[in-house]
Amino acid sequence: MERFSLMRTLAGAAIRSELQYRANAVSSIIGGILFQITGFIVVWIIAARFGQIGDWGLAELTFLYGMRLTSHGIFYAFFSQMFELDRVLITGEFDRYLVRPLPPLMQLFTRKLRINCFGDLIGGSALLIAASSGGVVDWSPIAVVYLLLAVVGGALVEGAVQITLGSLGFRFLQTYPLRASVNEVFNVYGNYPNVIFPTALRAVLTFGLPIAFVAFFPASVLLNRADELSVPAWLASIAPLVGLVLFLIAVRIWRWQSANYQSAGN
Amino acid sequence: MIEVRDIAREFRRPRQVHGPLGGLRTFFTREVDIVHAVSNVSFSIDAGEVVGYLGANGAGKSTTIKMLSGILVPTSGTITVNGLVPWEDREANALNIGVVFGQRTQLWWDLPLIDSLRIIAKLYRMETAHYERNLARLDELLELTPFLDTPVRQLSLGQRMRGDLTAAMLYEPKILYLDEPTIGLDVVAKERMRGFIERVNQESGTTIMLTTHDLADVERLTKRIIFIDKGLVLFDGPVAELKHRYAPYRELHVTLAPNGDQPELPQMPGIIDIEETPGRLEIRFDPATIAVADLIAAVVASHPVTDLAIVEPALESVVREIVQSGEVRR
Repeated sequence: MERFSLMRTLAGAAIRSELQYRANAVSSIIGGILFQITGFIVVWIIAARFGQIGDWGLAELTFLYGMRLTSHGIFYAFFSQMFELDRVLITGEFDRYLVRPLPPLMQLFTRKLRINCFGDLIGGSALLIAASSGGVVDWSPIAVVYLLLAVVGGALVEGAVQITLGSLGFRFLQTYPLRASVNEVFNVYGNYPNVIFPTALRAVLTFGLPIAFVAFFPASVLLNRADELSVPAWLASIAPLVGLVLFLIAVRIWRWQSANYQSAGN
Repeated sequence: MIEVRDIAREFRRPRQVHGPLGGLRTFFTREVDIVHAVSNVSFSIDAGEVVGYLGANGAGKSTTIKMLSGILVPTSGTITVNGLVPWEDREANALNIGVVFGQRTQLWWDLPLIDSLRIIAKLYRMETAHYERNLARLDELLELTPFLDTPVRQLSLGQRMRGDLTAAMLYEPKILYLDEPTIGLDVVAKERMRGFIERVNQESGTTIMLTTHDLADVERLTKRIIFIDKGLVLFDGPVAELKHRYAPYRELHVTLAPNGDQPELPQMPGIIDIEETPGRLEIRFDPATIAVADLIAAVVASHPVTDLAIVEPALESVVREIVQSGEVRR
């Protein structure tokens, strides 16, 4: 518990640092929202043109997109600094995390805040609310709790993948290109119902890169479509737990690899 | 307090391939160059000691400090600091140590200095009263008040270093590692820094290990020197012994009366070298062979002397000599 209070202190410092540059803060939130609107417009146009994508109607597609986006917003709010990892390792800034009484990963996460995550969070919640008004989900208290756990679990899946790949950086220093491409794969494939892809690709996007666990599986559960999946329904429904487990494994891998840290010359 | 046994640290780098497509071939090569930054270093430091850790650039000083502070894991060997293995008990060790890297700040760049200090106080689980008491004391020593509310990015180098030292000493660590603490500072700022280090050691009994290029730091602050070169310890002992071993001579500096004669000195055993400029003689001699009194008598007999001084060799020339010869004399 003490750890989390310390983490809050560091996060507070990151937010205060960011607010020193007010114009930048405002423009990145607006930019974030605009970016996500254009992404959604593509889905909307296809759905409007053909009525549905792989048997999923516009409301359902919107719901899926909203879940993915909210998850990504949470991921971005907590783990955005993974994208600065190369610089932190190459410049030796990581030294400073190692001489302080707190896990280095926590200090990395709270290094700075990327304000445009609020764009994703606002956009994602708006889509979720819009889709829900279409009556595609039977809302119950359990469904609401499941939705909350699922978007956090989705963020943890993305975080786990980025942390695992990032831990290669202790040996190879530059892993950003790899991590950015993987992030792009999540962004491209995560927003669509997995069922539209060929079987082989579906397997890759489930077990190779666990993209289906981010939003597609839990969204299927909430939309009562879990019985149509190519995996057992129970596996889809424990998606939030899968996120947590993957995250804990990723942190282990990170700690194990961090012994290879080389620092930077003075 | 600090026990270091046979530590070594090597770095592996892919071998650079030159020639056509060199960059691409470097990427795919499986050959590595192994750099031995530290080859075999052992020493122990008692509580309350101030030790100067010296060596040329690339000798392995910073690598050692990084292993001691838990940043790097040694390739082999053991270290315990206050009973803890720094890279295994990293967080517990962090509570015992303060680290200042002269060339990098540990403060929050965009926030006022006081914010960084408050955050540090929280990270080190300090009570408010304790924090305020320590800050007041450090403020008195380092005169922080004028720039406490300034964002760190706007501080001068000297102010920033004072801020970094405050951050490192705020929670009263038992051990302080200073890597080049006076680098780039002007004379006044250097003096203030040295005064501070001296007081911290005397008043709080803090064990201090400092690396520096400025030998004035060492002469002023430390009694003991560990000298390393190419990753090996060349010398470990008192400053006086280092001088005695590497520079067992003295110099007699003589100022002559203006327009006076400047005849040759008679040949005498024990005189190593004479440097002559108009109005001035610098005689290097071996005090074991020739008595100082005899030498002075000889000089006064033949020269119109207005002033005399016996000078010990400066540490700087001693160090230059060691680095150039690259070996240790026993």
